[in-house]
Formats: sequence, structure tokens, C-alpha cells
Amino acid sequence: MEHLLETIGRNMFAIFGVMALGAAALMVAFRSAVHSVLAFLFAMLCIAGCFLALEAEFLGMAQILVYAGGIVVLFLFVVMLVEMSKKKEKEVFQLQSRYAVAAVLIGAAVFVGVFRKVIFGTASPEALVLRPELAEGLNVARQNAQAVSRSLFADYLLPFEILSVILLVALVGAVVLAKTERV
Amino acid sequence: MPTPTLTQSIVITLIQCVLVVAFVFVVVPLTVFAERKVLGYLQQRLGSTRVASGHIGITGWMNRGMWKMGRVPVLSYWRGIPGLVADVLKLILKEDILPAKADKFVFFIAPALSMVAAVVVFAAVSFVPGTFFTLPSWFPYVGGLPVSGGIADVNVGLLWILGVASVGVYGIVLAGWASNSKYPLLGGLRSAAQMVSYEVPLALSLLAPVVLSGSLNFGEMSSRMAIGLPAWALAPQILGFLIYLTCGFAETNRLPFDMPEAENELVAGFHTEYSGMKFGFFYLAEYINMTVVAALASGFFLGGPWLLPFGLQGLVNPYLPAFLSWFGEPHAIFFVVKIIFILFTYIWVRGTIPRYRYDQVMSVAWKYLIPMTLFNLLLAAVVRCFAV
Repeated sequence: MEHLLETIGRNMFAIFGVMALGAAALMVAFRSAVHSVLAFLFAMLCIAGCFLALEAEFLGMAQILVYAGGIVVLFLFVVMLVEMSKKKEKEVFQLQSRYAVAAVLIGAAVFVGVFRKVIFGTASPEALVLRPELAEGLNVARQNAQAVSRSLFADYLLPFEILSVILLVALVGAVVLAKTERV
Repeated sequence: MPTPTLTQSIVITLIQCVLVVAFVFVVVPLTVFAERKVLGYLQQRLGSTRVASGHIGITGWMNRGMWKMGRVPVLSYWRGIPGLVADVLKLILKEDILPAKADKFVFFIAPALSMVAAVVVFAAVSFVPGTFFTLPSWFPYVGGLPVSGGIADVNVGLLWILGVASVGVYGIVLAGWASNSKYPLLGGLRSAAQMVSYEVPLALSLLAPVVLSGSLNFGEMSSRMAIGLPAWALAPQILGFLIYLTCGFAETNRLPFDMPEAENELVAGFHTEYSGMKFGFFYLAEYINMTVVAALASGFFLGGPWLLPFGLQGLVNPYLPAFLSWFGEPHAIFFVVKIIFILFTYIWVRGTIPRYRYDQVMSVAWKYLIPMTLFNLLLAAVVRCFAV
């Protein structure tokens, strides 16, 4: 029993990862858009589980809060309003396999290009985890949140701010595109 | 104190889960009963009295005696309690109707989602700091081990609570969509917009305690808010409490903000097509959500397991005479009493304030509550900067 539980505990990341991949596959496979959104939600929760298995509690909770609680709800909000029985919407949502294949190919190429070094290159001299003295006792997560905030607001402040400006541009752009002229 | 093995700690966690679920399932039916009674008295009637122990039970006998003497019996406060059993039986035994055009899977999973999201929030709620009680040594397998006051003492407890509570929106939205009928869809859409909007001031109003206490752990936050703050911190705490409670009413779809149901506009809103125990799950989830909001409000603002609210305990404790020291310590009973008080406030407000119009609901959230929470956050930051 003890041994079994320990084995499960060690392999939590793999378990959640496989579940997330399965849910993502289901999301692509489902015909109904709402079912796809549900599978996407499940995949997001599983990714939060992956973060938790890596002892990155803050990221895991942020994943649940932002993706599962915010973004996917808005997806659902949009999808619910679209009636899938009409042919036009069906074309928009379901019959785009040509574009989808092209997008997947481009994505795969980018993925291979970016992660080639990570996958086949030499291992970095330091392991990419929190330092063990930070991960001791009950202080893990507080250090975790602090570590995240330190790297965001001290080490990588400029990229972080540039990213937020890009997000702002996207937001304003969406408002401009969505706004119709009032007569 | 022996260190528990992995299996033992999992068993202890299961015991805690059973205790918390038992707590929830004791509080919720009593709240339902209290709602009938308190609402009845607010509207100058007796509330539910019909299903009582009748002629054979002791309350029925004493009540009959008092009626014969020509007085309204005191015990009629408690008449109707057996009606709770009748309610549950009715929910379980009723026919479970599946609308012909409904999306079966989503229709089935929506009540489960809202129920699970409501209960799971309690994982991060700490009822009392440190050890709640130690299991007696005769207890099989886990005898002599301590049971702590919360299930999971995670250091991002607040984020867990907010995140899982926001997953509860899916239950309502999906129920509205899956019923494939216009009133539920309208209710679902309204609630999606309302709950997503009110999540913003809700989370912002909880940021003030985070700033003041410098932690995200539920137990740590509640103890620092209760005994670790100077008198200056009263202002952001009281303002934050009022804002949080308002947002909590909106998040749980209670009466001043019950847009998703709004029975005289939308029949019953998102659960119009539900019957039997599936409806029962929504009903339970609503009351469990109320309990969750009450637990958070009492944990962060009303002092949690300490007696006095708004951090007054920390100011009073140094002057507390020795024979009153029991009142200066944290006890789970104080926490539970505060939860019950806020649940009463829910019913009180429901009997007092009429429903907002839909555009008013939205403008309250975006035009008033969010600026107020931002101001409150600023206040908390000032207090944190200069006084803590």
C-alpha cells in the first residue's frame, strides 16, 4: 500500500500529463463546440495538476484561476451563442481542415525549432528547479510565489512589461474591431 | 508525537474530509430551514409549520396545549423541522426528467460540476490554527495522531478558493445551455456575465487582506488579520468586509442579485428544466456556496477562530485578564458561530432588499464596487506601508 501510494505520488506529473493530452485530443475530436470547450477545461485543470506535481503551486492555482475560471468561461459564452445547426457556422467551426493542417504543420516546425536544443542539447549545469533549501518545510509555496514575483518584477521586468503592452494592444484592437459604428 | 506514514496521513485527510462534509451537510439543511422560518417571521407569518411531529411528538403535544390556551406557541419556531426530511425524500424520489432536445452529457454533468466546485473549496479553509484534536489511541490504524484544523494547509489557499469557486460558474452556464430552452439559456447567460463581472471586485476585495497579512495561506491570513494588525487596519478591514459581502451575495446569486433565477422574469432561470436530485444538487450547491462565502468573510474579516472581528482581538488581548484567557484563544466554535451569523445575514438581506434590475447589477459591479475595492486596496497598502 505504502509502496503503491509512493509510486503514484512520484508519477503524478506523468498521470496528469497523459490526462491533459487525452483531453486535448478529445477537444479536437468532439463535433459539438460546447463539448470541445468542456474537454479544453479538463485539459487546463490537468495542466494545473502538472504544475502542482512539479511543486509550482502558485502557477498551478494561477492556471486554474485564469484559464479555467476566466478564459474558458468566455469561450463558452461565445460558443453558447452560436447555433451550430446553421451551415455557415458549421463551416467556421468545423470544416477548416485545410487551414488546420497547415497551422499544425507550422506549429510543429516552430516547436521542433525552439525545443530542439532543449530536447537534444546538453543538460544545463543547474537543474531548473527551486533550490532545495527554499523547498523545505511549509515555506515551499510562499517561497514559490515570491520566486515567481521576483523573476517577474526584478529579473525579467522589461520582457514582462513589453508582454503586457502587447496584451493591451491586442485588447484595444479587439475593441476597435468589435465596435460597430453607432448611427 | 509520532510522524505519520504516507498511508496514515491519507487516512487522516479522509477523516478530515468526512468531518468537513458532515459539517457542510449539517449546516446546509439547517440554513434551508432557517431561511423558511426567518423569512416567514420577517414577513410576519410563521414559516413552515405543516410537517411537524404532529400529535405523537413532544413538540406537537406542547404546541397543541399552547394553542388551546389561546397563545402562539414558542415551540412553533421549531415546528417544521421534520419537513427537512420530507424535502430530501421528495428530491430523491421525484421523477428525473430529461428534456427531449437536451444535450444529455452536459445536462448530466452540470449539476455535478457546480456541486463539486462548491464542496472542494473547503479543502483550503482552515477552521482552527494548528491541531484541531488528537485521535484517541484506541482508534484503529491512526490512533494518537493529530488532526489539523484544515484539510490542506496549502500556501496558496486563497488562490485555490478563488480558482475552484470560479469553476462553479460552469455548472450554471452549462445547465442553461444544455437544457435547450430559452429561459434557462437566458438565465445561464445572465449568470455568466454577472459572475464573471463580480469575480473582479471579489478577488480585489480579498487582495486587501493579502496585502495586510502578507500571505496567501488561509490559516496564516486569518490569524494575522485577527491578532497581528494595528488599529489603523480597521478602516480597510471594515470597508473590505462590506464590499466582499456584497460581491459574495452576487457570486452566490442570492436575492438582491439573483439574476440567473429571477423567478418572476425567467420562471426559474438556469434550472427550469431540472427536476429530482439534479435540481437538488443545484439547490445544495447554492447553499454550500453561501457557506463558503460566509467562511471566507468570517475567516478574513471577522477574525476567524478568534472571538472579536476586524482585528480587535489583537488590540484587546494584552489587556485581557487571566480568567478570561479562554476568550483570547482561537476556537473552532467561534468560527462556526460567525459562519452561522453571516448565513443569517443572507436571509435577512433577502427579506429586506428588493432585486436589482439587470443593468443596475452590472453598473454596481463595474462603476461602484471596482473603484471602491481599488480605493480599499490603496488604503490597505498605505496601512501596510506605514503602520505594520
